[in-house]
Amino acid sequence: MATSIAKVCQSVKNLTRRSDLLYQQACCLCASFSSSSHLSHPKKLQHVINYQRTRAEVARALRRKQNFLHYEQVDKHRKSPLQSGTELVQEEKEDVAPREYRYVMPEFLPNPDFQYRDRVLEKMERRDMLRRRAVIDIPEFYVGSIMAVTVSDPYSPGKTNRFVGICIDRGGQGLQAYFVLRNVVDGLGVEVLYQLYNPTVQGIQVLKLEKRLDDQLYYLRNAPLEHSTFSFDMQPVTLPRDAPVPVNTTKVKLNPKPWEYRWERFNLKGIEPIELTPKMERGIKEHAKPWEDYDLMLKYRQTVNEDEERSIMTEVFKENSHIESQRKSSRTVLRKKK
Amino acid sequence: MASKAAVTAPLRPLCNFMFSNTNVTVTLAPSSVCFQQKRYRRFPKYVVRPTTRKPWHVRKWTEKKDEYLDASNEQFIKEVIIDKYAKVAPSPLKDGPWERNPYLRETRRTGVLALKLGSLLHWKKDGTPFYVTVLQVLDNHVINYVPPELYATYPSHRPHQGLRFGMQVVGSLSCDPRQFSKPYNNLFMKAGVPPKRWLTRFLVTPDAAVQPGTALDVNHFKVGDYVDTQGRTRDYGFQGVIKRWGMKGMPKSHGTTKSERKMGATGGGGDKDGIWKGKHMPGMMGNYLRTMYGLKICRINTRYNLLYLAGVGVPGLPHTFIRVSDTVLPRRQRNEEQMAEVAMPTWFPEDAEESLPEEMFADDVFQFTEPSLQLEAEES
Amino acid sequence: MIAKVHHEAVSPARHFSGFKKMSLALIALPRPVAQSTKRVAATCCCFSTTQAFCEIRNLARMRIVDNSAIGKAAAEIGKPPRVINVYNKKNVGYLGDKVLVTVKGEMRRAYIVGLRQKQKPNVPRMDTNNIVLVDDNGNPLGNRIHVPVPSCLKGKGGDLTKILSLATKFV
Repeated sequence: MATSIAKVCQSVKNLTRRSDLLYQQACCLCASFSSSSHLSHPKKLQHVINYQRTRAEVARALRRKQNFLHYEQVDKHRKSPLQSGTELVQEEKEDVAPREYRYVMPEFLPNPDFQYRDRVLEKMERRDMLRRRAVIDIPEFYVGSIMAVTVSDPYSPGKTNRFVGICIDRGGQGLQAYFVLRNVVDGLGVEVLYQLYNPTVQGIQVLKLEKRLDDQLYYLRNAPLEHSTFSFDMQPVTLPRDAPVPVNTTKVKLNPKPWEYRWERFNLKGIEPIELTPKMERGIKEHAKPWEDYDLMLKYRQTVNEDEERSIMTEVFKENSHIESQRKSSRTVLRKKK
Repeated sequence: MASKAAVTAPLRPLCNFMFSNTNVTVTLAPSSVCFQQKRYRRFPKYVVRPTTRKPWHVRKWTEKKDEYLDASNEQFIKEVIIDKYAKVAPSPLKDGPWERNPYLRETRRTGVLALKLGSLLHWKKDGTPFYVTVLQVLDNHVINYVPPELYATYPSHRPHQGLRFGMQVVGSLSCDPRQFSKPYNNLFMKAGVPPKRWLTRFLVTPDAAVQPGTALDVNHFKVGDYVDTQGRTRDYGFQGVIKRWGMKGMPKSHGTTKSERKMGATGGGGDKDGIWKGKHMPGMMGNYLRTMYGLKICRINTRYNLLYLAGVGVPGLPHTFIRVSDTVLPRRQRNEEQMAEVAMPTWFPEDAEESLPEEMFADDVFQFTEPSLQLEAEES
Repeated sequence: MIAKVHHEAVSPARHFSGFKKMSLALIALPRPVAQSTKRVAATCCCFSTTQAFCEIRNLARMRIVDNSAIGKAAAEIGKPPRVINVYNKKNVGYLGDKVLVTVKGEMRRAYIVGLRQKQKPNVPRMDTNNIVLVDDNGNPLGNRIHVPVPSCLKGKGGDLTKILSLATKFV
């Protein structure tokens, strides 16, 4: 519309150039007046959609948008006063869990990747985990503890299977949490992976509660067998109450090569120092990542936000202590009945 | 006036289009007239992505802002919005409720719009593990219903459907109306609900039509039902040929340079020369509409409106919008008993005689409050 | 509880020497061990090899765990048996699968009763790849198995029942 009016103005001006000056001035005035009045006229009369949007506008309208919402946006919608029925879970901030509680129950911390986070889903998962914990006693354990696990086994004559071993790994988040036990049976190293919340697990018992110097003890595969040999008839060792968890500082001497992994590159503390060959040294140097100690963003991405961690751990601590108190009271009732 | 009507009516029978510089209004015939039957390949090898929006879509977002609002006015407007939408009577239905029909074999109900939350590990009662995908039905409302006679004149109507289906528009996630354009906000006038972030439509049979303004809930489905889920897959953007089509690339050395991740030849010679249509090449990957058919609902949480579907593979990252509807698979249809219990056309809060349990499980799913799996020892 | 069983002195070091060449294949470097930061399940595996999966394919070296004469003789000369065929469609052997092995230049059939590969939950993973030799009729050559055997093999049925009757301990 505007362009056509401008064209008319232009043609009027071209015409006036040919005529005399006075007439030209008058016409110019007239033209400018009429053009301005024409421009404002259609706006007042009706709502005109601007089909000649700028290129930037069109580009913005057609721009590819993410086909998912950010999780904070979703939380905003859940809190919105415009809707009802799908409320957000409340966050509790009164009690405070012990500071090291995240190492006691690491599987309650969610996946730190924000793309896979959701508050409601995490809450539901935690609730399921705590329900399972109310049914079977999952004690505190660490990598390096010696544990006994009883699972239901449809093939064994007693329909249960008990395995004793040292915990060499622990991981997984939420309901997928797992731990790995290792033992030597009849001279053969055997490892079994158990899921913490699997319904086939009938009981978990910690025979000896202790920590090791490393987070994973897979190097026991390449160590002498006596380091991972434990008797199936082992009696549980009790710790005095409120005592700190002891750290086992034994250093393991590895077998000569070949190894499962190149253990010299792992910065292990629980093994005796290895005699490094020049090739090993070269490998260590090539694969070392000294900058990662100073990479704050990496640490930020790999850990859950501290406030969030605190609120989660508070909730878990509260629920778990409630479960334990109930269990104790039921035990005393049973004793009295006897 | 014609142009105004064309823009404000979102889904109109005739496809009007106004060319701005010529001021000419072109009227296209509806697709049901002069229909020439054509047969295409059922699964096209290549997809042409639309780069222009459909002419019947209204503009959704607006960036116009009132700059003269101060903080108190802003607060006042927010209160007005909440008063208008949230503080009305519990049911915004203007006229009386529509008639409720029984569920028949050929009935097709409306679906719901859900947010995908993620997946969890669950176990069956015999200890078998399986994964569940959790969907949340957040703040769903029926926005519009178009009867079959009117829908038959729509450009999106397919002639083979005949007059079987009407169209039900469902929206989810209420928003502040100020961020939307006026024609978009007008879509919600009839239903009397706040404008929604996301709209979709389901084809329903007229006996299952739901009145606009009705809230949809997770109780629309029952535990043990089978549903189809449809959504957009994860958007990878422009990707090379290795990631998009799984090609092998070329060697790193031995005379080749700079072509480790390139495709090889694009076509043959002689009769088969040239680049054929549908040749696998780099391009936009992901963001396709994909459907998973026949997922079983194994658990429902009525407080948070959660659907637990057995299986993974529901498209998209978490917090993707998923259309969930009754399955179309013939072997997964309801039996006679289940047909009697279906919420028709949807579940209303007054249907529940007593308060619903917070969680409902399918028969074979292990509940975490149960004791561990105990097998009886054999006597021998 | 544990039945004390006479077991042959098969030192693990000697057994591992058989793996010398293959175990040098590059294995994904797990994350550095750090107590303070939370561990993320992020693997930096750039490519996969059969050795990393510990799959039983053709020419994989095994360990005979029954007390058959031929198995003992093979262990004495330090030549582990090699798989030359796996009797399933994938040509990758899993627990309970039947394989064809060469022992001292002879072809023998055998059953896999223990794997070094990662296993499912509640299924034991052994430090060695164990087999039990059988003859052409499916009868075991030895009369005793001197290592623990996964109890999940009992569910497989078939010829395995003959072998599992020799086992002294199940895990």
